[in-house]
Amino acid sequence: MNNFLSLKNITVIYSDFKALDNISFSMNAGELVFVIGANGSGKSTFIKVIAGLRNIKSGEIIRPSKISYVPQIETADRDFPANVFEIVMTGLQRRNKLFYSHDDKNKAMKIISALGLNDFIKRRLNTLSGGQFRRVLLARALCGEPELLLLDEPCAGLDTKSHRDFYDILAEINSKGTAIIIVTHDRGDFDDIKYNRIVEISNGRIFEHERIS
Amino acid sequence: MSEFLELLSYPFVIRALIAGSLISVCAAVIGVILVLKHYSLIGHGLSEVGFASLSIAAFLNLPYMLVSIPLMILSAFGILFVSQKYKAGGDNAIAIASSGALAAGILINSFNNTGSNIFSYLFGSVLAMSEFDFMLAIILSLSILGIFIIFYNRIFLITYNEEYARSLGINTTFYSGIISILTAFIVVIGMRITGTLLISGIIILPAICARNFNGGFLKLIIISGVIAFLTFIAGIILSLMFNTPSGAAIILVNIILLIIIKIIRP
Ligand SMILES: Nc1ncnc2c1ncn2[C@@H]1O[C@H](COP(=O)(O)OP(=O)(O)OP(=O)(O)O)[C@@H](O)[C@H]1O
Ligand SMILES: [Mg+2]
Repeated sequence: MNNFLSLKNITVIYSDFKALDNISFSMNAGELVFVIGANGSGKSTFIKVIAGLRNIKSGEIIRPSKISYVPQIETADRDFPANVFEIVMTGLQRRNKLFYSHDDKNKAMKIISALGLNDFIKRRLNTLSGGQFRRVLLARALCGEPELLLLDEPCAGLDTKSHRDFYDILAEINSKGTAIIIVTHDRGDFDDIKYNRIVEISNGRIFEHERIS
Repeated sequence: MSEFLELLSYPFVIRALIAGSLISVCAAVIGVILVLKHYSLIGHGLSEVGFASLSIAAFLNLPYMLVSIPLMILSAFGILFVSQKYKAGGDNAIAIASSGALAAGILINSFNNTGSNIFSYLFGSVLAMSEFDFMLAIILSLSILGIFIIFYNRIFLITYNEEYARSLGINTTFYSGIISILTAFIVVIGMRITGTLLISGIIILPAICARNFNGGFLKLIIISGVIAFLTFIAGIILSLMFNTPSGAAIILVNIILLIIIKIIRP
């Protein structure tokens, strides 16, 4: 068992429904893992457990301290009246830290430029295209300098070009040592980036699909 | 107009203008948060709690503030937490709190025939503020603004998305508590301007007007505050000129402004 990320016999229950049923999973630092599975199989729940957003009924988790989570787009309020810069900056918030420093602002600006969002910093969220909005969510996540990046269907609804651009960015982040877990419905994604493993979630259980060493 | 300038030589008018502008700006700033969190009517609900507190205070012969501030903070907590926990939408929780409080207030009043200053609580009057009310309004408004500035980044984050805030390790319950306290404070002092019947108006109308402008969240807050200040002053001038209740005039100025904004920027 490794101690970068390890879930052991995790069960999650919503009222009386077992969303995750005694699953175990582990990964090493710097790896990239795809998670696939049908609608309602428990993928988002799995990601949220790792992010610490769901109470578990039983089981144990070891997780790195710096995790950034990019939610499934349906839950990322796009109509909120805030501009891109304000949203990206929130990625720098920490417990016990109420104000942003000058360094924080520089750091955010660097990430914003790296993701090609310079021209949009003053734009309200609801004026962005789908691809631009995904990059905003990614920029916000990167502000936390994560050791592990969790992405819940980050490319759903993107065209081929934006899709490829997005994966190029992820490949670069991964090559610098950040571990990544990507939930996807699109098996075509496997061709867009070098990955270590694919796992499938089905009815709250997890299956090792493919391992590339 | 010269009549108005003459009125400025009265200390009670100056006091009303200072306290009223501060309260209006605070209400509008907190109002942005409440509107975005879909708690637009919480001010209305809490003002009924204010009415119940008034009845209880009169009945027990206690100072009004001693009863109303803790009761309102408790109710604000209750409303925010119940609606969060049961995802029932704030409106149900608010309806329960407000009708419950109103019923309790009416019952207690019926046992106790000193309902004399109930009228002033229903309609409020910023011009009739006592020295004590004035000091309280100044202290509470400055506290609201101070707390808001200190926790601004957090309040923004929590308003935007609580689940995401939790993923950053932030204690969202604590900050929802702060928002409840700020809301309770604003209702306590805001009731002095508009009375319980119109308090929701000064909380939400400037925020709703401001939402029609583009730009970021901070800009929205600032525009809402500026609109509140201007509509307060305009409302006061109108009520002095025509000798009408100030709260109603302020609310109507806001509504007219909202209609104008909707016409200019459809
Ligand atoms: N908060 C909740 N309360 C009750 N049931 C829930 C809750 N969240 C998810 N579920 C249920 O748990 C199951 C797994 O949901 P989850 O969101 O993890 O699925 P998913 O694999 O991400 O689906 P999708 O591909 O549609 O995003 C579903 O049957 C869903 O209805
Ligand atoms: Mg999902």
